[in-house]
Amino acid sequence: MATTPELIERLSADAAPVRRLRAPGWRALAWLAIASALIAVVTAIVGLRPGLLAALHDPVFALGRAAALATAVTGALATFELSLPDRAGRWLLLPLPFAALWLGTMGYGCLADLLVEGPAGLQFGGEPCLRSIVLMSLPLGAVLFVMVRHAGPVRPVATALAGGLTLAAAAEGGLTLFHDVEASLTDLLAHLVAVAIVIGLSTSGARPLFRLLGPRRAVP
Amino acid sequence: MLAAMRDSGARLAAGAQWADLMAAAQAGDRAAYHRLLTEITPYVRSIAGRYHRTREDVEDAVQDILLSVHTIRHTYDPSRPFGPWLATIADRRALDRLRKRLRSAGRETALEPVHETFAAAPANSGTAGLEAEELARALERLPPGQRQALELLKLKEMSLKEASAATGLSITALKVATHRALKSLRLVMQGKR
Repeated sequence: MATTPELIERLSADAAPVRRLRAPGWRALAWLAIASALIAVVTAIVGLRPGLLAALHDPVFALGRAAALATAVTGALATFELSLPDRAGRWLLLPLPFAALWLGTMGYGCLADLLVEGPAGLQFGGEPCLRSIVLMSLPLGAVLFVMVRHAGPVRPVATALAGGLTLAAAAEGGLTLFHDVEASLTDLLAHLVAVAIVIGLSTSGARPLFRLLGPRRAVP
Repeated sequence: MLAAMRDSGARLAAGAQWADLMAAAQAGDRAAYHRLLTEITPYVRSIAGRYHRTREDVEDAVQDILLSVHTIRHTYDPSRPFGPWLATIADRRALDRLRKRLRSAGRETALEPVHETFAAAPANSGTAGLEAEELARALERLPPGQRQALELLKLKEMSLKEASAATGLSITALKVATHRALKSLRLVMQGKR
C-alpha cells in the first residue's frame, strides 16, 4: 500500500475540475418535478380515478392525501440535505410529523373498517395496490438514488431511510390520482404493507447499493 | 481563556484558508489541492486516532478519509465552513473502518506465540516427521519388485511406459505391483495409528 504522502501526490495529480452540486432545496425541487411528471404520465395512460373530487370531500381522506404530499416534499428536502456531509442529521426529523399524520389516517381507516366490518372485511385483493406502489417507487427511487449517490461515504442509511419514506409517500400519494381505491380494510392494509416494503428495501439495500453504484474511488 | 480564544481563532483562520483551497481545487488547481490535502492530514489523523490504536490502522483510516474527500469533493459548498464538512467525512470513514475491523476480528483469531509448542519451526510440524520415518521403514520392508514399481511410478513420477522400458516389466505387472505395494503400505501405516 502507498504511503499517505504518495497518495496525496496521486490524488492531487488527478484533481480535474468538478462541478459543484446545486443547493439541496433546488435539487429536491428538481426530483419532485421529475416525480410529478412521471406520476402525471402514468395518470394520463391509466386515466384519472373517477370520483376523486367527491372523495376529497371526506376530511380524513383529504387530510391523508395532503399529509402524503407534505411527507414527499419534506422527505425529498431531508434526503438531499442528509446526503451532504456538512448538514445536520436532524434533517431526518423534518418529514416525521407529516409521515405520522399520513400513516395515522391510513391506520385510522383500517381501524374504522375493522370495527364496522369485523375481521370478515379482510379479504385477498389488495395485491394490485401493493404492486402499483412498489412498481411506482422503482423509477422514482432510481432517479433519487442517482441524485444522492455521493452519500455513500457519509450517511448512507439515514439518507436511504429519508429517501425510502419520500418514495413511499410519493408513490402512495400518486396512486390516489389514478388507482381506484375503495378505502376498504384490505386496500388500506395493502398500502401500509407496500409503504413498509419500500422503506425496508431502501434502508436495507442502502449500503450495498451505494458501494456498488456510488461514485468510483479509483486511485489514479 | 485567552489561549483558548487564540486557538479557536487560529482554527477558524485555518478553516477559512482550507475553504479557499478547496474552492480552488474544485476548479482544478492541483497545487492548491496538494496543499490542502497535506495540511488537513494531521487533523484527519487526530480524528482517525480516536477510533484506531495501531499506527497502521490510523494510517489506513487517514488514507480512506483522503480518498473519500477526493471522491465527493464536488459536494463541498465554498459559501459554508469547511471544518464541519471535513469532520463529518473523517468521523464516518474512521468509524466505518473500525466497524469493518471489528467484524473481521470476530471471525478471525490471530496466531500468537502461545499457539506454538516450541520456538523452532520443525517442532511445530506435528507428527509429520515421525510418519515420514515410518513410511521409509515400511518401504524398505516391501518386496523388491513392489518397491521398485512404487519408486519409479510414484516417487520419480515416471509414466507406465517409461517404467516398463526401464525395468523390462510389462505394464500390467507394474500396475499389479504398485497396487499391492500401496495396499501393504496402507496396512502398515494404519496399524501404527
